Amino acid sequence: MMIAFMAVWGMVSCTKERVLNEPGNLVPRTVDQDPGLPSIFVNNALLHAEAFGHPDSTLIVVIHGGPGSDYRDLLTSKSLAAHGYRVVFYDQRGSGLSQRFPHKYYTSLGRGAVDLMYDELSGVIAHFRTEVNQKVYLVGHSWGGILAAGYTGKNPDKVDGLVVAEPGGLKWEDIETYVKESRSFSLWSELFNDAGFIEQFISGKTDQHEILDYRAGMLGSKNDITGDDAPVPGNAWRAGAVINAAMFEVGDKYHPDFSAGLEQFQPPVLFLYSGRNKVYTSAWAQHIAGAFKNVQLCKVQGVGHEGIIANSGAWSTITEPNILKYFQSL
Amino acid sequence: MISVTLMVSGYLSMAQTVNWRAMPDLKKNIIGISLGLDHSVSYGLSYGRSVTVAKLPAFITAEFLMPSGEEKLDDFKSKAGGQIRLIHYRGFQFSARVQGVFRRYQNDFVRMLNFGSDFAGTAGLYQKKWFIAAESGFDKAIVTHFKHSALYRAKYGNVVDGWYEPSTGGNFYYGIQTGFNFKSHSVYLKAGSVRSQDFKTKPLLPYYGQVGYTISF
Repeated sequence: MMIAFMAVWGMVSCTKERVLNEPGNLVPRTVDQDPGLPSIFVNNALLHAEAFGHPDSTLIVVIHGGPGSDYRDLLTSKSLAAHGYRVVFYDQRGSGLSQRFPHKYYTSLGRGAVDLMYDELSGVIAHFRTEVNQKVYLVGHSWGGILAAGYTGKNPDKVDGLVVAEPGGLKWEDIETYVKESRSFSLWSELFNDAGFIEQFISGKTDQHEILDYRAGMLGSKNDITGDDAPVPGNAWRAGAVINAAMFEVGDKYHPDFSAGLEQFQPPVLFLYSGRNKVYTSAWAQHIAGAFKNVQLCKVQGVGHEGIIANSGAWSTITEPNILKYFQSL
Repeated sequence: MISVTLMVSGYLSMAQTVNWRAMPDLKKNIIGISLGLDHSVSYGLSYGRSVTVAKLPAFITAEFLMPSGEEKLDDFKSKAGGQIRLIHYRGFQFSARVQGVFRRYQNDFVRMLNFGSDFAGTAGLYQKKWFIAAESGFDKAIVTHFKHSALYRAKYGNVVDGWYEPSTGGNFYYGIQTGFNFKSHSVYLKAGSVRSQDFKTKPLLPYYGQVGYTISF
């Protein structure tokens, strides 16, 4: 053991020192570290964002999950631009390639941390809107669906159409139940082992974003409970570990209700859920969708939670046709 | 600092939970098996040999721990080191443990090889047939080699492979251990809490535990 240690020590000493939290080493740089990335400045945060389609067309804002995921695997839906829409993608603050903030930045706002995310969405819409009467449709996946629903309940007159894809829940108790069940890996499984054993190698301290994001990204390869049982190459840029932990802390403490005000929203809502997610049964979908006044449920067969939008086959044959039909009905 | 640690761990090694009071009755060699929680569900094998260092009783051992899961041997932890009893007064005894650690981790994105260290102190009441003690220690990942897969490179093509230092991680642990001896056999149980090195974050599995059986020959 001593000889092996000394050999490695000698080898390491002779090579260039690499540090885990050096930007760019293990995870990509964020927009504030790499000016070459497309970005917008909204509500005091530099956000990674892109838009496709004619600027004056109806806006479709695609909202990613997490909190702390990114829009990379939702880019499948940019094909909506070919149907005459302006499709907007953005990484929420602290997520993907957008600017990072400390844990306390969110938690010090208390219940207001959720409002921060609503205000950010308002800012994104305002940034891309070219005229006051331009229609706005929201498409939210997972946490993005929760955020889109909460925003719509608060601003029913500012949203013209709403598509949600497997929001875990809209009331905090439902979100807790969904998250717990979707991560109930067997103690003996490879998935649990992959998630836990790595913590001996990399621990990271509060707000060491590069390290914490890297470790969080290691867990995102697959989840056979939610039907995402095969890793998908290039499905994400970078996890946002700090905002994820902070928002769950805020949720645990304040139990936000993302269904509040939805009874004021008049247009129908398209509610998508997947065929392979073992937790998101039809009964669960109906339970969550009950918060909407007028809702159309659509089961996307053959994919799991992530595949509803990200899977190109499911997107082109099931999800996109249903979304287009829904938009045309509005 | 690391070199000193390594030299010490090379001369003094250690492994399983030891009843120091029963050592005179045991034969020189001990082998053991264990099942436990150690950032995963782990199976363990250990070998030990009792020695005397500067007139103090000590133990040299090597351990191999493998987590459960469908992929065998993609992850493991091996330890080599020593434990020495420094203080004893009637039934009370205090021992220190120093181990060198080599571990491997692999998932769809990365393979990591790590050299680290594990330091611990144990104090408690030891009788001929049983013991109960408290332990506290720090497991540090000192230097780690990263090699990323094509799947991770599809996610981030500019990831930098190679050795990363200084310390890439560390976890404190503290808990209790107890054991019973009968002839050359013994069973032991230990359990406790794990905290990340910043004392603020809890690991996914914030507890450790191990039940083991050893036999001397």
